[in-house]
Amino acid sequence: MTRPPVAVAGWGLAAVAAAVAPLVATERQVYLLMSVLVLAVFATSFNVLLGYTGLVSFAHGAYYGVGAYTVALGALHLGLPPMAGVALAPFVTAVVAYVTGLIALRATRLYFALLTLALGQLIFLVTFQWRSLTRGDDGIHGVILPPALSAPVPRYYALLALAAIALVILGLVMRSPFGATLGAIRENRERTGFLGIKVKRYELAAFTLGGAFAGYAGAMYVLVDRQAFPLLMHWTTSAQPIFVTLIGGLSNFAGPAVGAVVFGLLRDYIIRNIEYWQAVLGLVLLLIILFLPGGIVEGVQRLARLVAGRGGGPAAPPVADTDREPAPAGRRTP
Amino acid sequence: MTTQAFVLQLLTGLSRAAILFIVAAGLSLVFGALRVVNVAHGSFFMVGAFVGVTVIEAVEGPAGFVLAVAAAVVVVAVLATLVETLALRRLYTSEHLLQLLATFACVLIFSDLVQFLWGERPRSVRQPRLVSGSINLGGVIFPRYSLFLIAVAVVLAVALWALMTRTRLGRDIRAAVSDPEMLGLVGANVPLLFTVVFALGGALAAVGGVLAAPQSTARLGMDIDIIIESFAVVIIGGLGSLVGTAVGALLVGLTFSFGILFVPQAALAIVFVVMVAVLMWRPYGLFGVVER
Repeated sequence: MTRPPVAVAGWGLAAVAAAVAPLVATERQVYLLMSVLVLAVFATSFNVLLGYTGLVSFAHGAYYGVGAYTVALGALHLGLPPMAGVALAPFVTAVVAYVTGLIALRATRLYFALLTLALGQLIFLVTFQWRSLTRGDDGIHGVILPPALSAPVPRYYALLALAAIALVILGLVMRSPFGATLGAIRENRERTGFLGIKVKRYELAAFTLGGAFAGYAGAMYVLVDRQAFPLLMHWTTSAQPIFVTLIGGLSNFAGPAVGAVVFGLLRDYIIRNIEYWQAVLGLVLLLIILFLPGGIVEGVQRLARLVAGRGGGPAAPPVADTDREPAPAGRRTP
Repeated sequence: MTTQAFVLQLLTGLSRAAILFIVAAGLSLVFGALRVVNVAHGSFFMVGAFVGVTVIEAVEGPAGFVLAVAAAVVVVAVLATLVETLALRRLYTSEHLLQLLATFACVLIFSDLVQFLWGERPRSVRQPRLVSGSINLGGVIFPRYSLFLIAVAVVLAVALWALMTRTRLGRDIRAAVSDPEMLGLVGANVPLLFTVVFALGGALAAVGGVLAAPQSTARLGMDIDIIIESFAVVIIGGLGSLVGTAVGALLVGLTFSFGILFVPQAALAIVFVVMVAVLMWRPYGLFGVVER
């Protein structure tokens, strides 16, 4: 499986843009870009479940929060340096995701999704109520960062490096035989099982991996805003990566990252300019769901194929189709 | 615990269960026929509550309350029809997730719509005179409004049961639950049926909203609170089952009201623990059937 040249060019362009951006952006915009980086990792970790394995989870916000609290609580109670917290966060979150995944994966499909909703809310409520450990609703504010990261531009580059590490690791794993097996499970759970593959074990591994990197994203978030609070774990937070992935497209590894950039910038613009920003955001999302269900990446690919087709040359390889076209998981198919 | 405290806690739990049953029954009905998990159901509840409060403020007496229910039902039924015909209808052939997300997008829209129309301040109304106050039976005081809510829920449960088993519409709905394609082939207008069921489900949420307003208040954020609890109810009871919804509502309502006595901090957490426990034991809920 070789990378299509368009994808290589796209990633290269994104890398250059990301490296140059803080040099031309205002301080506020640098902060915005930092939150986009966090969102990109968060959404990509979610797509391990949604796009690659076909699992819909509403607990992802809870793992994001667990990662954020690992850094914040480590600093508060143990005097752990934030960067050590960031390194620790995916492992702590992996344990939480493994245990909750073990429970949630007793069910499948819709009931699996609803179970993750319940488990995620449970984690949220425990955090909310356990005041002696977490300070409850007050949250933890003013996590002290090392002096090297206190200025926004160096901090941006640190986060860019952290995001790159996460995306490279996830990209490699998804291109490995393990990732291919997840794809087989997504396309047909039963047949994959007939091949002798332990489907639940793979699903649990994917769930744990996705959860771990959600925690990593949560830890990155603390580096941006220097705080952690229970709402990070609420199920409405879990809806965010779903929308981001949907906007970018779940059939492509780059989809969530593209979605994060578009969603992050769009939301920022709408919030600053329109009083009723939620309604506008809802409307935009509804339109994407109705008219561009494959997301932006697939839309661009379709457009590119159309142009190539008109040029009379050989049709572009149908990357998107083989990669992932979500089979209409038939309402009525038995 | 004295008898009085126990009775009060029991009635609090039962009246909460009554509201939850009315709302969750709509959610369950819609899921049964359309296979759509409607997250915007909580928004219908909230819109119903605000419309109800507005009408009650404008019209005095018991007539105002009846009118409030009627107005809320009509407004929400129209909204639900719009959501179904403009959005959901295009998504029936695609993945469940897209339908769920479409309704979630509606949550964002309706939440701002309510804020735009009614402002950010919570609105409270008094209980209708006829069912306010309390009655004293053998030295134990029973709040009348709680008894009223329980009665309404029982009446609605019987009415829903009769609708499903005794009418043509109910027969069509049951047919749609088992095989909508076949129902279409024998000549029924399935798209229209789906719209009607979706509007009916929304109407139940609206009724719940009007009934809940005098006990709590009509406020922003009530949409998310109720949908979380309704999910718990239908997951415990099993999506698509009326009996399951009733049992789930009782379990959640009572767990909550007695849980708050013993562990005031974590009553809602206990509800979720119960929910996880039920699903581990029966992955499709107590009365649910295996997903098609």
